[in-house]
Amino acid sequence: MLKVLDPGRWDFTTAAHLLNRAGFGGTPDEIQRLVALGPAKAVSSLVDVERIPDPTPNPSWARPDPERLQRLAALRQASPEQRQQMQREEQQLQRERLLELRGWWLERMAKGPRPLQEKMTLFWHGHFATSFQKVRDAYYMWRQNDLFRRFGLGNWTRLLVEVGKDPAMLIWLDQAQSRRQHPNENFARELMELFTLGEGHYTEKDVTEAARALTGWSLNRQTQEFVYRRAFHDNGVKTILGRTGNFDGDDVIRILVAQPQAALFITAKLWTFFAGESPSPELNQALADVFRRNGNEFKPLLRALFLSEEFYSPHLIRQQVKSPVQWLAGSVRMLERDLPPAQVCANLLRTLGQDLFAPPNVKGWDEGFAWISTSTLLARYNYSALLAEGVMAAGEMANRPRAMAAGRRMANRARAGRTGAVDVRKILTDEERRDKTLLLGALQKRLLQSNLKPKQERALREYLESKGDLDDDEIRGAMRLIMSTPEYQLT
Amino acid sequence: MKTEPTLQTRREFLRSTVLTSALSWTVPGFLANTFASLQAQAADSATQIATGRDSTILVILQMAGGNDGLNTVVPFANDYYVKSRPRLALKGDQVLKLNDSLGLHPALTGFKELYDAGCMSIVQGVGYPNPNRSHFRSTEIWQTAADADRFEKYGWLGRYFDNACSGCDPTVAIHIGRQMPQAFTAKTPKGVSLENPQSYRFISSERGGGGEDMMEQSFREMNEADDAGNSGGSITAISGPGMEMRGSALDFLERTALDAQISSDTIRAVSARTQNRVTYPASQLSNSLRLVARLIGGGMPTRIYYVSQGGYDTHTNQPGTQERLLRDLGGAVQAFMNDMKAQGNLGRVLLMTFSEFGRRVAENANNGTDHGAAAPLFVFGGKVKPGLAGTHPSLAPEDLVNGDLKHTVDFRSVYAAVLEGWLKTPSEPVLGRRFEPLGLLV
Repeated sequence: MLKVLDPGRWDFTTAAHLLNRAGFGGTPDEIQRLVALGPAKAVSSLVDVERIPDPTPNPSWARPDPERLQRLAALRQASPEQRQQMQREEQQLQRERLLELRGWWLERMAKGPRPLQEKMTLFWHGHFATSFQKVRDAYYMWRQNDLFRRFGLGNWTRLLVEVGKDPAMLIWLDQAQSRRQHPNENFARELMELFTLGEGHYTEKDVTEAARALTGWSLNRQTQEFVYRRAFHDNGVKTILGRTGNFDGDDVIRILVAQPQAALFITAKLWTFFAGESPSPELNQALADVFRRNGNEFKPLLRALFLSEEFYSPHLIRQQVKSPVQWLAGSVRMLERDLPPAQVCANLLRTLGQDLFAPPNVKGWDEGFAWISTSTLLARYNYSALLAEGVMAAGEMANRPRAMAAGRRMANRARAGRTGAVDVRKILTDEERRDKTLLLGALQKRLLQSNLKPKQERALREYLESKGDLDDDEIRGAMRLIMSTPEYQLT
Repeated sequence: MKTEPTLQTRREFLRSTVLTSALSWTVPGFLANTFASLQAQAADSATQIATGRDSTILVILQMAGGNDGLNTVVPFANDYYVKSRPRLALKGDQVLKLNDSLGLHPALTGFKELYDAGCMSIVQGVGYPNPNRSHFRSTEIWQTAADADRFEKYGWLGRYFDNACSGCDPTVAIHIGRQMPQAFTAKTPKGVSLENPQSYRFISSERGGGGEDMMEQSFREMNEADDAGNSGGSITAISGPGMEMRGSALDFLERTALDAQISSDTIRAVSARTQNRVTYPASQLSNSLRLVARLIGGGMPTRIYYVSQGGYDTHTNQPGTQERLLRDLGGAVQAFMNDMKAQGNLGRVLLMTFSEFGRRVAENANNGTDHGAAAPLFVFGGKVKPGLAGTHPSLAPEDLVNGDLKHTVDFRSVYAAVLEGWLKTPSEPVLGRRFEPLGLLV
């Protein structure tokens, strides 16, 4: 299994497929550049991220806060009324930072030079599914996000240890409070069920024993760092998945990763994420073999995956439902426009069902068909007016004062200089803007990388014909119409 | 293959009617046709499928934030209550008395009238074992009907759809609000979510008045299902028993686009042509219930409506906030039930409230209350067994668990009663195991 892609199949369609799945898509020029590189170099240009300079600065507050200690001390001494006021201010500050953090990450996905690194970060965010709703601290959420970026293409064991000692995770699954007298099983259970093995591959006893071994992993809320608390740790002998010893947290992860199921579990999830359907048992075994042969490293696995014949099966191409993030970041890349303001993006993603840093539960998002309901589909159609034309479809704004204000500002800017709308002259040639046949071809190639059904193309042409000589607004209207089809929701 | 004629009907309907004459058609005829055929197919199965005019309707009202149950249904004569709440306790001469020991919060005049009219049941002490005090998690437990230590992927109403509504139109459930409640998540997603009918549609960005809207027209054509006879496979795949999705992603999206268009046209037409028969107070909750009433009155085949009201997280200065919220709640529910009565639908509609938890017995230092456990919930309708149900949890310190009321009714017994007695479906497949249904209905 895992045949190597025949270089003869390397063309616009397969290169576009690679860029869509390993990243967030791109412009026809970017796809053409990958075609010219050939498959091996094209994949390398995405996978070998350390060769790509990434000068994006971190948010200014993305560091331990030296004044936090004083603030906590002041909080303890304050009167009830003062404490209330201080807590309100703290919550407000954290909410503002969260909004900034969401915008910061989206910017990396929609504009950044390392799309695969961001795609993997998104994968790990869904996998470890930690939510601000419980962590309530933007710095911790940023820090976990940065961890995914730094270790997400590296070694599986290392990643799991880093995540296990990550402050946001220590809070999210209550590991910080786990003591030998009352081991908290939350993290131990999800580590096996959701992170490494899957249900049915361990016993309840394994969970309680692993929870004992993990005691001592905790959080120092003053330094905002992981701390090993010897007094919390259970020093007794534990038996986990058939192995017996005086294990600690690192041992638990080592034992789990050594299970054959651990490789199969993560390769199946990665294949499903990138290919859009679950792998056959044979294919998954081949992927797990590659992963094992390469010392549980993700980068060689992904390189093999993106260079496999199977990944480019015709039945996979343009058959994956775009996640809301993919829909937004991909649209921004294809339209060569700026991201809308952070507040607008946050509302958009919440409406479409993918609130970054707030996955719905410990299992993360259900990918695929679950993104689409009648409501979210109509919302995508209406938000495409925002992205293409820079106008907020009026009804979307009802009952949302903050979004309305942000939207109105954007619409005003749009009217003034049309910064909110697509720059038609930047992405289309003069000929394409004049000649309706050329225009229809260029728009489909850019937005779908394939063709509409003849009936749809006829309807789009009727729209254009009804306008006579086209102005830029009408061309943007045509873009919006293509984005308002079932086809555009797929990648 | 059994369901093919239905979708065929809908397709033909879409082509022949919506495209040519926009909204001038009469809804009930269309609904009657579609759902009559669905009904015919379902007749041999044990499940009941919505038929528009005569089936029962459930309205869920979520009171988000954790309502303080003890100051809603007040044990005013209880010493422990009075002592635990030196600032917050409501006195016997303030409450709307239900009997010698219990009274409703003074702002709940709307509830009191419904109670006296025999249209309201108060279920006391509702909760679940090992209560969780996180809003997030406890809401999830209520929405998924899960045990406190288990995560369920699907919502309890979602499991009801999966079990009893395969083949139903997506409008079998309508949520008024922004984000679909977790209770609706299902193996086969059902239900639509809308804030108002005007935004639940493709909003053309065509500028300038007069003339036809070319964008809207082209949009409809570009989203119309294929007329070619090549969709038979996908129809079987998406509407066969069990409703597992087997078609391609594009088939699925095309079907959803069709559903979106039909439900959008239907909901807007129904809500526009139906009048409310009573006056509602001015509030967001009232607006939601007003819309639900119009949809019910207009003959939507919807079986589940879901509305919500937020703000109950009263850690500080509770009295003013709770007073305002409960007045809004009582007024909105009373107007809605009166509207149902005026429509002649009182006997078809059951409205049930819930909140993720009650609050601690003892007040806190900020003139408020912190997250607690068990609390009452309310059920309204022409067919409820009126009065008090369940037993009030003891407030004696030795009976409290970590300072919280111990539940006397598991919320899943209430769900079981609603599923079996009202929605007429077995409750075990939905709730995962047997919960004895509470005697809620006459």
